[in-house]
Amino acid sequence: MNEELIRKVIAEVMAEVMAGEKRAAPRTELSAPAAAVKITELEKATKGVNPKEVVLAITPGFGVHFQGTIIDVPHGEVIRQIMAGVEEEGLTCRVIRVYHTADVAFMSHYAARLSGSGIGIGVLCRGTAIIHQRDLAPLNNLELFPQSPLLDAEVFRAIGRNAAKYAKGEQPIPVATRNDPMARPRFQGLAALLHNKEMRYLDRKRPPMEVKVEFTR
Amino acid sequence: MPIVAGIDIGNSTTEVALARVEGREVTFIGSALHPTTGIKGTAQNARGVVLALGKALEAAGWSREDFRRVDLVRLNEAAPVIGDVAMETVTETIITESTMIGHNPTTPGGVGIGLGETVLIDDLASAPEDRALVAVIPADWDYERASEELRKILGRGGKVKAAICQSDDGVLIANRLPSPVPIVDEVRAIDRVPLGMPCCVEVAPPGRVVETLANPYDVATLFGLSPEETRQIVPVTRALVGNRSAVVIRTPLGEVKERSIPAGELYVEGPAGRRTLNVEEGAGAIMALVAESEPLRDIFGQPGTNVGGMMERVRRTMSNLTGIPIGDVHIRDLLAVDTLVPQKVVGGLADEFSQESGVALAVMVETRELPMKHLAEAVRTETGIAVEIGGVEAEMAINGALTTPGTKPPLAIIDLGAGSTDASLMRENGTVELIHLAGAGNMVNTIITSELGFDDPELAESIKRYPLCKVESVFHIRQEDGTVRFFDRPLEPHLFGRVALIHEGDLLQPIPLRTTMERVRQVRRKAKGEVFVTNAVRALERVAPAKNVRLLDHVVLVGGSALDFEIPTMITDALSRYGVVSGRGNIRGVEGPRNAVATGLVLTWGREGT
Repeated sequence: MNEELIRKVIAEVMAEVMAGEKRAAPRTELSAPAAAVKITELEKATKGVNPKEVVLAITPGFGVHFQGTIIDVPHGEVIRQIMAGVEEEGLTCRVIRVYHTADVAFMSHYAARLSGSGIGIGVLCRGTAIIHQRDLAPLNNLELFPQSPLLDAEVFRAIGRNAAKYAKGEQPIPVATRNDPMARPRFQGLAALLHNKEMRYLDRKRPPMEVKVEFTR
Repeated sequence: MPIVAGIDIGNSTTEVALARVEGREVTFIGSALHPTTGIKGTAQNARGVVLALGKALEAAGWSREDFRRVDLVRLNEAAPVIGDVAMETVTETIITESTMIGHNPTTPGGVGIGLGETVLIDDLASAPEDRALVAVIPADWDYERASEELRKILGRGGKVKAAICQSDDGVLIANRLPSPVPIVDEVRAIDRVPLGMPCCVEVAPPGRVVETLANPYDVATLFGLSPEETRQIVPVTRALVGNRSAVVIRTPLGEVKERSIPAGELYVEGPAGRRTLNVEEGAGAIMALVAESEPLRDIFGQPGTNVGGMMERVRRTMSNLTGIPIGDVHIRDLLAVDTLVPQKVVGGLADEFSQESGVALAVMVETRELPMKHLAEAVRTETGIAVEIGGVEAEMAINGALTTPGTKPPLAIIDLGAGSTDASLMRENGTVELIHLAGAGNMVNTIITSELGFDDPELAESIKRYPLCKVESVFHIRQEDGTVRFFDRPLEPHLFGRVALIHEGDLLQPIPLRTTMERVRQVRRKAKGEVFVTNAVRALERVAPAKNVRLLDHVVLVGGSALDFEIPTMITDALSRYGVVSGRGNIRGVEGPRNAVATGLVLTWGREGT
């Protein structure tokens, strides 16, 4: 198998997926007029001391080179829902952008280590997410949401809520995620392409940066 | 030098004591236990007996199959006792027209009390400005949009005093208002909230519970109710007690009823004839009647009711088992315990649960005889050893219990099993008094399951058996006595933040319930107390001289449930009030509370043999 062949296979799969997509696109119902997001980079991200905070880590391309997840949930909406979930529980959410990795396990673990509460969330551009705790091994985690095509706005709200509950030491019921055996065959090709694109914007020398998130209409 | 095996078949375990008997010399060389196969007293037990005996042979240093070593197997005359447990719900709360929202969202918004007329958020702008309003916000209103709308109305002088919200947005909306109003959220059936009606929303500060809406006179003040109407509102206020947030809406026809479910009548037959009692009257009345009707001849339930069904089921099981006609099976004891059962409120708007009262019942059936002969025959053919059926179980148990260091006759024992609690008393002259009572380990499980509102018998068994802890971080837990323990290695992530059970070897099992450690502990201890402590006292009263527990000196606790980490101390504590020395037995100084009957079987043969 050479690279050319793989490209060809992916292209074919993609064409099929896209065709199927038009018929039954799992569009998420957005309750709000899609919020445009403005992400401004501030200083270098530091370790927090506030036990009331949850840290959310996003990748370099999030909201910049990509505008939505694999099923087109706008990135602004993803952040807004996660932050709302955290706020509803009475905590605050700090957002950082990591440049050194696009591995969601390491991203979220990094966020957890910077978090004053020890709880962090990592989200990839395509939507894959993890809730992590700083004392766990990176490849262990509190909750993993591996099937990005099944994560809609409501699930992101629940992810924020559960992360905040872990931070409070409560016992959240794990977020109910759907499971679709067809998600993998239908989206794997696309997910691989998105991952490749996401990797392009990595910069291993650049430290994680604190960002300010603003929502506009 | 004959080798004798004493084998005791209990409701849940089969125990073996193996000994070399030489005149008066009895040397114990092995003991073992194995789960009982089939229902106690039936031929199905043979399998478990053989396996248990094999284990004992192994413990004595022989091969598992080496049955020829044993000269005699002595089986106990299994007490023909079978227990059954059932739950009866006695009350039910029904909302005939929605007048209250009594559910308890974890994160309501704002703090305080807001009184006004319910109005849909879409119509807020057109509502009269001088009137106090309570906004009703369905889920299709995002929190940003909803709070913007509320800000707008408040900004132009509108009086929005509170809000009722369908999604989990209470804090989010309250945070975005210039001055927060109380908001109750997660009201699932928001479309059924009556509009244009006077309504009161109360949210208590964190760590407090609603006070105004839980007080009928405060509700009467708020809505200007007449004494008659105030009486009607009582079930509403009662249902709101203990909530952090609540809503009461006054509808012209609304009504909340607390309905009693006809649970059925019990007919108790004693020496004074048949007496009738309604199960609704609760455990206290039932137990008083049972005590008055001593000795019970039989108990029936009203045909066509749940109680009737339960009594018949026990009879039928027993009849099938023994081949005795159903008319000859008699219920000889009953234990009733009041419980609280979380039940969904019928007609509720937010999946409200209400703690309804219920009664848990355990009954015990005694027949003439279990088919022990078949069993003895089955064991003989499988092992080729001579089998004899030993004396009465209680006598054997006492003889076994007397091997506990520090005991002497007169001695009373309480056998805490899974199906029944048995007590017996040996007087100084060697005569034995015996009683079987309904209600033991299995009933504790039933009460735990219903009070905590889940449906998993194995989880109930674990909750009964193991102490609790709360996993506070990846590296430490807080145990139920308040102490903290650290671990060198990180705990599994699925335990993080959970209430868990500490199994042997520090294995932690999370409890998948939305409840606190304190509540689980309280339910567990209450169940154990109401079953085992009640039964211990009840049993001793029946066997004690002149029915006076104070006249007993020593009480030894034996049986599987005596291994529990807190039941023996609870009983010891309760009996110390009668001036009785009691404690967990230690059979032969090594076996703990187990193996009493099996040991007794061997010892009594030794005596008969001389």
